[in-house]
Amino acid sequence: MKKVDFHIHTIPSVRDADFVFSMDTLTRYVHERSLDAIAITNHDLFDLSQFIQIDKQIDVPVLPGIEINMQSGHLLVIDNPDRLDDFQEKADKIRAIIKTVEDHVTFEKLTEIYGDLGEYLIIPHYQKKPAISGDELNLILPYISAAEVDSPKKFVRMWNDTNQTTPVLFSDMRIKENLTKFSSRSTYIDCGELAVKKIKACLRDKTKVFLSPLDGNKLFEALPNGQMISTGLNVILGGRSTGKTVTLKNIAEQMYDPLHIEQFDLVQKEEELDKRLFEEAVTRDKSHVEENHLLPFKDVVDRVLSIDLAENEKEVSDYVDSLMKSASESALRDAFSNTAIFDETTFPVSSDDTLKALIRSTQQLVENVEYRKIIEKHIDRSQLRKLACELIEERWRQEDEIRQKAVVNSLIGEIKQALDMKSAVAPISPVDLYRITLDKIRIERFTEIVNLLKCEKDIYDETIQDFRVVAKRGPFRGAQELHDKLARQASFTPAYRVYENPYQYLQELKCISALPNTEIYKYFAKIDYKILNNDGAEVSGGERSEFRLLQKIKRATVHDILLIDEPESGFDNIFLKTNVNQIIKDLSKTVPVVIVTHNSTIGASVGADYLLHTSKEYKDGKAIYKIYSGYPTDTYLTSLDGSNIENYSSTINALEAGVDAYKARSEFYENIKN
Amino acid sequence: MRILKIEGGNGHFCANGEEFVSIDKLDKDSLLKLVELALTQEVEMDDYDSETLKNEAHRIIYRSVHKKLQELVARKDEFFDKSEREFYEIYENYKNS
Repeated sequence: MKKVDFHIHTIPSVRDADFVFSMDTLTRYVHERSLDAIAITNHDLFDLSQFIQIDKQIDVPVLPGIEINMQSGHLLVIDNPDRLDDFQEKADKIRAIIKTVEDHVTFEKLTEIYGDLGEYLIIPHYQKKPAISGDELNLILPYISAAEVDSPKKFVRMWNDTNQTTPVLFSDMRIKENLTKFSSRSTYIDCGELAVKKIKACLRDKTKVFLSPLDGNKLFEALPNGQMISTGLNVILGGRSTGKTVTLKNIAEQMYDPLHIEQFDLVQKEEELDKRLFEEAVTRDKSHVEENHLLPFKDVVDRVLSIDLAENEKEVSDYVDSLMKSASESALRDAFSNTAIFDETTFPVSSDDTLKALIRSTQQLVENVEYRKIIEKHIDRSQLRKLACELIEERWRQEDEIRQKAVVNSLIGEIKQALDMKSAVAPISPVDLYRITLDKIRIERFTEIVNLLKCEKDIYDETIQDFRVVAKRGPFRGAQELHDKLARQASFTPAYRVYENPYQYLQELKCISALPNTEIYKYFAKIDYKILNNDGAEVSGGERSEFRLLQKIKRATVHDILLIDEPESGFDNIFLKTNVNQIIKDLSKTVPVVIVTHNSTIGASVGADYLLHTSKEYKDGKAIYKIYSGYPTDTYLTSLDGSNIENYSSTINALEAGVDAYKARSEFYENIKN
Repeated sequence: MRILKIEGGNGHFCANGEEFVSIDKLDKDSLLKLVELALTQEVEMDDYDSETLKNEAHRIIYRSVHKKLQELVARKDEFFDKSEREFYEIYENYKNS
């Protein structure tokens, strides 16, 4: 098995924060991580002279590469080191295209520069940001032999999915001066000769690509020193001050997106404060419930916000007055007022949003990858493209017309003003009766909607283990409730006085400077959240902690790893056994989990896949920290230096305070029983 | 084609390519047609001249319309430049694929 890292940066580009490359760091990295091969892959550039120096200095194979910014994401292109001048020449062409972070290379340009991509090792960012996706991925797909992910979790998921290509995990590190913490991300490949052709053949066969040298994908390197942990459930045991918490932190540092629940993180400290913070957290956590429920209403409010009924009334009244005046002055009409343009009105100008939405929808039909088969079964894609083009042409035609009308409108205004100055007859005030009528209807509908919104209703009910989260909608019961919602200095008293008249209420809310217009829609109906326990009663302090733990754990699936430090610090054994253990075990099937514990309910009953035992030992009077690890069924746990400890005694010491205490406890329980 | 002319001390416009109408009869629809012609055709217009235009109402209308149409003729290409338009990239991509 060869341990490889084919994604390393040695030169800062427009895409990186500035750094100074260090050959010493690279040498240490390759040595300490025991790598068998590396590739140098800087963003959109290749530096031949630096590559030659690295190749001379590093005693494992070094491959030339480049990380190219494509339209949708990043792509690694790696070559054999036997045609470096040619690789440099091609990289220079890429560099000439990419001058700023906004620039990218198209697939056509890529093939124009590199010719047959089949000659190279092509690895796209896949389950890693920024990922190559959509049409671009389809174009690249025939040339790739592996795709890059950013966590062991994604690696395992992709490896197990027979429809997916082979995953690879690389460091993506910047090799800079004084770098002390290395990445633990690398991939093992079962490949004899490390030439591009051989590597590609190997990568195409998933059974030759793993996270560990001997244990397949059951284990992965979680720490840069090579310490392995399980891709399932790990339990860290050990006495006080032996480095358990530090180990957890070090593992977290190696992940892009860990969920780390620290010790005492969830435990209640002060009753009242805890209760308030808990309610706030639940409200914040469930803010999507309010937003989802009120989102359609937000659109209504956005439209109504710009309506000014008082101004509309004034427009109509001015129009009628000027019309009457003009009729009475008909005898005074002159050469200026007799021109057609004197009484002319402007063109109504508005953009057709429906057409715009239609273009977007057609574009979605053309570009959607997920449902392409179904779409193509019914509609020919080339016809869809033609449809999109015709709709765009129609959109541009309408835009041209609108711009021309805008020119005419401004010209009419200018000429009318000049004619008004000369004429003895007063002009007729402009009025848009269509818009004014529509505004009136909109306000009537708005009032109906707001009144419906104030009706009491349960809008959300979610069960989480033994708890229920209920959201209820209803009217605000006073200015204080509005004030509490904003949580900023503002007076809602004038607004609440007209709460029964939605349009007037809206006008008053607009006057509150601390309340942004974009948030106004949340102030018409109140959403209350309640967390209820099994008996339908509000939760106690202990139950709040339990709820928080379950909530946090539940979200772990979206993270790369779940790390929990001594969950027993705040929970009783029954809760841990009946609720937490099973959830954690289930979770560990999809995301790696590491738990630090002293508690036998967790340590011995959770069903760990891998054990780590931290230890502080002394050598020549100096404290050294070690980790012994192995499978739960192993007789001995082994450390990286080859030393080992007995599994049984170290586990019973950590969880039961030793064999004697364990026996004494058993006897105690037997006596009670008898 | 000629779209604005001064004749007999009065201003005239031609929006349909056939007949000239006195400029005091210019309404918004005719004006829109003149704008379209200025942007899409080779048009000719008599220069504004306050001496030959005797009618003061005609002077006001003719001067503004003439000035605006001249501006549009000068910026014709810019007006229809599609490269800055919304959906331009999609359009080019789909049209050529």
